[in-house]
Amino acid sequence: MIDDGSSAPLSSDRTDFSAAGFYEAETDAQDLVLLEMHLYMRLSREWDLRFEKMFKTGALSKWYSSVGNEATTVACASTIDAGDALLTLHRDSGAILRHYLDADQLLPGLLPEGMRYRNPLDGDSKQRLLRLTCQMLGRDAGFSAGYERSYHYNHFEEEHGLIHIGMISHLGSMIPVAAGAALAFQQEKSDRVAINFIGEGATSTGDFHEALNIASVWKLPFILIIENNRWAFSTPTSQQYACENLVDRASGYGIPGIQVDGNDPEAVLAVMNTAVARARAGDGPTLVEAMLGRQRGHSEGDDSLLQVPAEELEQYREHDPMSLLEEKLIKKNIASQAKIDEIKERCADLVINVVDEAMSMPEPEVGKPRRIYAD
Amino acid sequence: MPTDTTPQLEDTLYIDAISKALLDEMRSDDRVVLMGQDIAGHGGAFKITRGFLEEFGEQRVRNTPIAESGTIGIATGAAMLGMRPVIEMQFADFISCGFNQLVNVAAKMYWRTERSVPFVIRLPGGGGMGAGAFHSQNVEGWFLQTPGLKVVSPAFSDDAYRLLRSAIQDPNPVLYFEHKYLYRREQSPITSASIPDRIHGQAHVLRKGDSVSTISWGWMTHKALEAAEILSQEGIETEVIDLPVLSPLDPQPIIESVERTQRVAIVHEATITGGFGAELAARICDDAIWNLDAPVRRIAYPDSPAPFHKGLEADRIPSVERICSELRRLVTE
Repeated sequence: MIDDGSSAPLSSDRTDFSAAGFYEAETDAQDLVLLEMHLYMRLSREWDLRFEKMFKTGALSKWYSSVGNEATTVACASTIDAGDALLTLHRDSGAILRHYLDADQLLPGLLPEGMRYRNPLDGDSKQRLLRLTCQMLGRDAGFSAGYERSYHYNHFEEEHGLIHIGMISHLGSMIPVAAGAALAFQQEKSDRVAINFIGEGATSTGDFHEALNIASVWKLPFILIIENNRWAFSTPTSQQYACENLVDRASGYGIPGIQVDGNDPEAVLAVMNTAVARARAGDGPTLVEAMLGRQRGHSEGDDSLLQVPAEELEQYREHDPMSLLEEKLIKKNIASQAKIDEIKERCADLVINVVDEAMSMPEPEVGKPRRIYAD
Repeated sequence: MPTDTTPQLEDTLYIDAISKALLDEMRSDDRVVLMGQDIAGHGGAFKITRGFLEEFGEQRVRNTPIAESGTIGIATGAAMLGMRPVIEMQFADFISCGFNQLVNVAAKMYWRTERSVPFVIRLPGGGGMGAGAFHSQNVEGWFLQTPGLKVVSPAFSDDAYRLLRSAIQDPNPVLYFEHKYLYRREQSPITSASIPDRIHGQAHVLRKGDSVSTISWGWMTHKALEAAEILSQEGIETEVIDLPVLSPLDPQPIIESVERTQRVAIVHEATITGGFGAELAARICDDAIWNLDAPVRRIAYPDSPAPFHKGLEADRIPSVERICSELRRLVTE
């Protein structure tokens, strides 16, 4: 089944919007969803721009940018709840920030008062953001205490329903692990789900096949989202796979496959709500293919973006999800340019401040033992 | 906390000890779930889980597709979220298909993230049955170079029972090498008084002697004991050390024995180059070289895949005769 998601329900039935306030103009539930996603997309964008800049000035040794992936990642994370498992790659800062943070704690006043489309996790968002930033910078207070880089970490706050499992460098390897989290949820007879992002390149691995196949046979509550940005390091899709669409493979596993415009957060939200509802109902996994455009190299400074033809790159930049959404907010009179500018400035300030704070935090102590085995 | 529920069972087959350990853990902890190829209705290639499906149902006794990597990855994710998966590799050789999940995802998880991965992979391995290159290997060495994994290799029914229960309770990924040749040939009582809830390093001196020491595990321990009996009649007294746990290693009994006998041979069924015997030899040299009266000897499989023909295979597996002749030479050096 290939479905553009247009028939899927947009709103989550878990939140009552009747109490939602208003914004620039009268804001209905659908507009509120956009505003909420926009805020996290902007925060994610500013986060990446800051770290890109730090890489350029030599303050950071390595960075993998999420620029261009925000609509997909924020929308996907907007469809899960406390208790669900999130498994991410290095282009998913949007999903992580969306899942971890309560905008009302960190950026008060930027969203209309009232109910949220996705309820934030309980807990101290400021502390979580600081530790996340420390993780990016290899500080002792980071989730891996400096032993692992950037997004190669886990963070569990089970008391707040936060279950986040990061990546290893071997792309595709976390797909079975995500399915395993879904197995644990199925085994406990809960309606929790696991969602996992991969790039189109990782669909060529054996783990993609093995995990999707087992997840389908066992009807695990698992959603695999392919962020297809058309380039895996320097390899275009024409050299990666020969089927027309990756989502075509879903029928081979006997599961639904939905391709969606990954630059359109509303469309992504709609297909994800369908997929998550299906998983919660015990009907098994869904394969989602979000079509994106590569705006950055594999890692910053590695020249791989030079492989992308100039006109193609231009096209991807024209379809930048951040700009598209902001144009839409203005055009539909959901937010004014001034409001959008204010959000941008506040997000940028938040990131600058937390990065500065993290930079002043202690580095890991050299020579301190690190346990290899759990006691 | 150790559990004190161990029955004292007379003359238990090695294969039945494994089956009983699984059964007892399944009954005492509903987080334990079995996964493997053909383990449900069929009861597994060696029938170790026969009857389990009927008692525990298909949620806890899960047939998997032929997907070792996917299965190990799924076990990793499930273990991180509170389950206690036990995977049956149909044959130890097939673990190669799950190598990356094991050595990169599972083994490094705790060090990277302080999230433990409590699962067990049972690995029926070893030769002696003319099963050819892909059903006979001893692959423990591949994993002994991977920090984060625990590796056990019981030689006796009692260890088979006790170590499997401890492995399932241990919060780390444990590789449990069970020797197919011993399944129905080793038969001895289960006598363990209590079951530790962790795998600790263990080196057991099974037979005292002052002429020479041997170090071995799995099937080879039985051969070392046979060789010791023969040599005893010639006046050579062999101290036989068994390693039911290879990682973490308990080196102390090894070093103490070598300091006393001053001669040592390591006997293993795995191929010789880069095998665990090389590591043991190096450790003995590090800690006891000035006590040695002869070079450390390794008695192992030559660097060869396992041939199908039983005669060709027997020519490669260390035999009692070969162990005897190597030890005779060692004591005269």
